[in-house]
Amino acid sequence: MSRFSQQYRDTFNWYTPGKVLVVVLALPALLIPTMVLCYIFWQAAPVLDWGFLFGTADGIGFGMTEGIFSQLVGSLLLATMACLIATPFALGTALYYRTFATPWQQRLLSAMFNMLQGIPPIVFGLCGLVVLVNLFAWGVSLLSGAVVLAVVVLPLLVLNTLTTLERIPKEYSEAGSALGLTQGAIILRLWLPRSWLQLLTGLLLAMARALSETAPIMFTATVFSGVVWPDSIFSPVTTLQTHIFYLAQEGNDPLLTSIAWGSAAVLVLLVAFFALLARLLQKSGGH
Amino acid sequence: MAVNITHKVFAQEESATSLKPSQNQPSAVLTVKKLALNLAGKEVLQQVDFSLSPTGVTTVIGPSGAGKSSLLRCLNGLENRWSGAVKIDGRDIRQWPGGWDQLRRHMGLIAQKPVVFNTSIRTNICFGLLGWRQRRRADELVKTSLQQAALWDEVRDRLDTPATTLSVGQQQRLCIARAIAIKPKILLLDEPTASLDPRSKQLIEQSMLQLAQEIPLICVTHDLEQAQRLKGQVIFMCDGQVIEQAASHQFFNQPQQIETREFLRWNVCDCD
Repeated sequence: MSRFSQQYRDTFNWYTPGKVLVVVLALPALLIPTMVLCYIFWQAAPVLDWGFLFGTADGIGFGMTEGIFSQLVGSLLLATMACLIATPFALGTALYYRTFATPWQQRLLSAMFNMLQGIPPIVFGLCGLVVLVNLFAWGVSLLSGAVVLAVVVLPLLVLNTLTTLERIPKEYSEAGSALGLTQGAIILRLWLPRSWLQLLTGLLLAMARALSETAPIMFTATVFSGVVWPDSIFSPVTTLQTHIFYLAQEGNDPLLTSIAWGSAAVLVLLVAFFALLARLLQKSGGH
Repeated sequence: MAVNITHKVFAQEESATSLKPSQNQPSAVLTVKKLALNLAGKEVLQQVDFSLSPTGVTTVIGPSGAGKSSLLRCLNGLENRWSGAVKIDGRDIRQWPGGWDQLRRHMGLIAQKPVVFNTSIRTNICFGLLGWRQRRRADELVKTSLQQAALWDEVRDRLDTPATTLSVGQQQRLCIARAIAIKPKILLLDEPTASLDPRSKQLIEQSMLQLAQEIPLICVTHDLEQAQRLKGQVIFMCDGQVIEQAASHQFFNQPQQIETREFLRWNVCDCD
C-alpha cells in the first residue's frame, strides 16, 4: 500500500456515509470476479483429475471423451510461437524508437501501437484468414495462428519494452557512451542486462494475453476434431480456448458441459500462472 | 617569508603551465575556436575560444546555466550540434578516425553524478576495454587505475563485490578509475566533487593533480576554492561566453574583467 493511501486511511474518518458509498462501489469489483472464479472451479471440480489433464482423446469423437492434454499443448504451442515471433520485432521496434527515431516518428509509432492495442482481435483473425490462410496458402495451421497471435500481442510487447527502456536513466547510457562504447555495445552490455527482467515480465504477460485470445485463432489455426498433435507448423491444432467454445455450443449434454468447465478452469489457471509469474518477476526486480 | 617564496614558486609554475592561447598554441593539445551551440533557439555557447597544453588542470567556473557542462558535452561529442572548430593535436574532432565513439575513448568524461554499472568493481573498471580477452586479463590495469583514482587501498580486497555497495565518494572515484582505464589523452570532469564529503573531495583532487602531470584535465566546478587548489588555468564563463581566462594565481588575484571581479566577490554575473 502506498504511503499516501496509508496516511489517508489513518486520517480519514471512516464512519461516514462516504465509507458506505465507497465500499458499495468497490465491492462488486472484488466480489464478482471471485464469485465467477469460484463458480468455474465448482463446476469443473467433478472432472478435474490427472486423467483429465494428461489424457488425450483420439481424433474421432473428439470432445466426447475426457482428456485435454493435446488442447493444453496446442494452446501453449500457439502462445509460445506467437511470443517468439513477436519478441524480436517488438525489441527491434522499441530499440529503433529509442535510438534512431525522430520525435515525429516516435509520436507516430506510439500512436500506432496504442491504436493497434485497441483493435478487436477478431479483425486480425479476419486479416489472417484472408492473407495467411488463403493468399499465402498456409491453410488453417499452427503458423498462421501464431503469426496472427503475434500481431495481437505485438503492441503489448512493444509498449512494455518501450516503458522498460525508458526507465533506464539517460546518465546510465551516457556513462557508457563516455567510455567510447558503440550504440550496439550500449544495448548489449548496458540496456539488456539491466532490463532483461522487465522484458521477461512483459513476455509472460504477452503469453497470458495470447492464451486468453480465442477469436483470432478460430479461423486461422484451430480445428475441433481430426487432429491430436500437429505434424508440422502447417498442421492445424486444437486449443483450450476453441475447445471450450465448441463444447459450450453443445449445452444440452451434461458431460460436454462439465468438460467445458474443466477446460475453462485449466485455462484460467494457465493464464493466472503466467500473470502471477510476471508479477513475481516484477517484484524481484524491484519494480 | 617562506610562505611568500612558496607563493612565488607556485606563481612561476602556474605561469609556466598556464595557457594563454596565443602563447601556447604550438604545444596545445586541444584547441577550441569559435565554438557555438544553439539548443531550441537558445545560444548555449557563443564564440568559445581556448586551448589546452599537454598537461595540467584547466578549471571552468561560472554561474549555473553559463554553458560549462554543455562545453564538456560538445568536446566529448555527447552533444554534436555545435559549430566552430575543435582540434586535438591539429586534427578536427568531426573527422576523428572511427567517429565519435573513438573520440570519446580519447577524451574521457566523468559526470557530476557517479554512474556505476550494476556489476562488480573489477568489471566496472574494465567496462570500456574492447574485447573480452582484454577485459579478462586486466588485473594490472585494474590495480593501476584504482591506485590513480586513490581507491585501491579501500577496495583491493573486494574487487568482485557489486560496485553499487560503494559510498557515493567511492563510486565517483571508481568512475574516475574506469575512465582512466581506457587511457584517455584528455580527461573532462563535470563537477566531480559536487555533493561529496570533504574527505572524498580531497582524495579526488589529489588524484586529479596526479593525473594532470600526465594528461590535460578540464574540470568544471562551482567551488572557487577548489579552482584555486587545482591551480593551472581558469576559464570563467557566463551566459555561454568565455569572459576571462588566465593562470589561476593571476585570475584570483588580478582579475581583468569587471564581470570576473563581480563573480569572485558576489558569486553573480551580469554579462548581458
